[in-house]
Amino acid sequence: MNKKERVMRTLDHDEPDLVPMTEMSIDPRHLETITQTRFIGETSLQTPVSADRRAEMNKVATFVLAYRKLGFELIPCDLSAPDGWSSKKNPDGTMTDEWGRVLSYDSKCKTWVPTNSIFAIPEDFERFPLPDPHASGRTFAIAEMKKNVGDEIALAAFIRDPFAHAWEMFKITDFVRWFYEKPHFIQRVIERITDFNIKMIKQVADTKADLIISGGDYSEKRGPLVPVRFFKDVVFPNLLRQVEAAHKAGLRFIKHSDGNLNPILDHLASIVDGLHSLDPTAGMNVGDVKLQYGGKLVLIGNVAVDNLCRKTKEEIVEETKECLRRAAPGGGYILSSSNSWYTDAKLENCLAMVDAGRRYGVYPINIS
Amino acid sequence: MSVAHLQEAAITSLLERIERAFAEVSGVDEMKRRVEMALAEKIPPFEIIQSMRQGLSTAGRKYEEGEYFLSELIMSGIMAQELSKMLKPYLQSSRDQVLGKVVIGTVKGDLHDIGKNLVSIMLSSAGFEIIDLGIDVSTEKFIGAVEKENPNIVAMSCLLTIAMDEMKETIDELAEAGQRRKVKVLVGGRPITLDFAREIGADGYGSDAVEAVKAAMGALRK
Repeated sequence: MNKKERVMRTLDHDEPDLVPMTEMSIDPRHLETITQTRFIGETSLQTPVSADRRAEMNKVATFVLAYRKLGFELIPCDLSAPDGWSSKKNPDGTMTDEWGRVLSYDSKCKTWVPTNSIFAIPEDFERFPLPDPHASGRTFAIAEMKKNVGDEIALAAFIRDPFAHAWEMFKITDFVRWFYEKPHFIQRVIERITDFNIKMIKQVADTKADLIISGGDYSEKRGPLVPVRFFKDVVFPNLLRQVEAAHKAGLRFIKHSDGNLNPILDHLASIVDGLHSLDPTAGMNVGDVKLQYGGKLVLIGNVAVDNLCRKTKEEIVEETKECLRRAAPGGGYILSSSNSWYTDAKLENCLAMVDAGRRYGVYPINIS
Repeated sequence: MSVAHLQEAAITSLLERIERAFAEVSGVDEMKRRVEMALAEKIPPFEIIQSMRQGLSTAGRKYEEGEYFLSELIMSGIMAQELSKMLKPYLQSSRDQVLGKVVIGTVKGDLHDIGKNLVSIMLSSAGFEIIDLGIDVSTEKFIGAVEKENPNIVAMSCLLTIAMDEMKETIDELAEAGQRRKVKVLVGGRPITLDFAREIGADGYGSDAVEAVKAAMGALRK
């Protein structure tokens, strides 16, 4: 059984030979250490920040090398900016992306982080020319990644969840104000981003990727960011549209969200194929979710990222074993951290998680 | 019932309606409508502010109890900011209404500001004057702001564990600069715990925006 087959078997809720592993992302500093190469190119967890294809090819090659060295079965890849696009560089050192998000450079993590927005009032967005989903080159990196991994490693394409995209794009305070004062505007924004995503999903399918991962948070540590009824009325119908588009194109659909998802888990389980990251700091218990939704949802997680930063290797091994013991039996489980390998995670802990995953993640699972 | 009693009952009713506007997160327009009615009845602005604070306190409690979502907490803070703007012309000495001054920022090495901004809104709503230094704030910038602004509280936030050491460094440097005794230091953010706050010598810690307001109130009483 090769790595991709291991993932596909897992997505079918069957037990493969080993528990597959992945990370949603690895910060450039760790990539450099793992691969012993220099990371060239710019990166952001939220959005494409460059259309420099040479740098993008280097980035893809670095990720593939790292994921191969780690033995990961699933590799994620971001959408690309369209051919010829360049970000707007602002005098204060920030940049503006295609969607009007203003990003600042985090030199410690070597990534761009959204910190502001060009939209001061809803009318700014109404006048804003939305990115063209048909612009060429949006799946450049994914196609490049596919060339690299072939059918050896399963390939996941990242898209941005329309709800999270909207609150990032407007900043959370303006999003909330407009959410209450102009709910139809927010609904329309989410629908338009969903339309864009559906077109992206179709293009992703053409690259022969295997699944979609929808990034962006629905919740914070206490619960959903907005009342559950808004999820039922607006977010979930649009999520369903994307999932249906993915299924029609032969792609599985995984939803990522940090935070406490328990109040909306029932609905999520009826829409998506799987869930990442099962944030333990927000009270998400992988064993409980497995018990309740294990037949419906593939679970990806959830060694706590904070513990990767603070705890010892021995403690990480125990935590990994516990994740495997509770979530792996019966299949439908992919081991990863509860988000990604941040710069501040201790690499020795990350590697201890991988080692423990390989050692104890052998089917049938037998961890006392 | 006498005319005086009727007037008192009307005033109480208007103030209760303002309180409920915040407690029930009725939105900015509805809140303004109720406040305009109160001002037309010559109700003193400080009584309106008192009602706002009671309403905010109810909204905060409902959030902590899981009845409200984060968006409702943020919206109640936005309403409070709008009320402050609305009442500014009526407040002869707005400084009298200020509970204390807070210098706040996300520490150096961290660009995340959602939590910090939310804490700023809630502290401002609760009656604190906020000096927001933004994100990626160096120790020197915090110390400079303390010297310039003479705040009661320095509040530091971070999301990344890699930035946590900056909090300790800032506290140590405040002591080195002879400023530590003049201010209370509060810390918060996703990776911050009460134990960590104690370990680095902070005076208080808030696990979320509502707790941060309680910690700030508590720090003022110390």
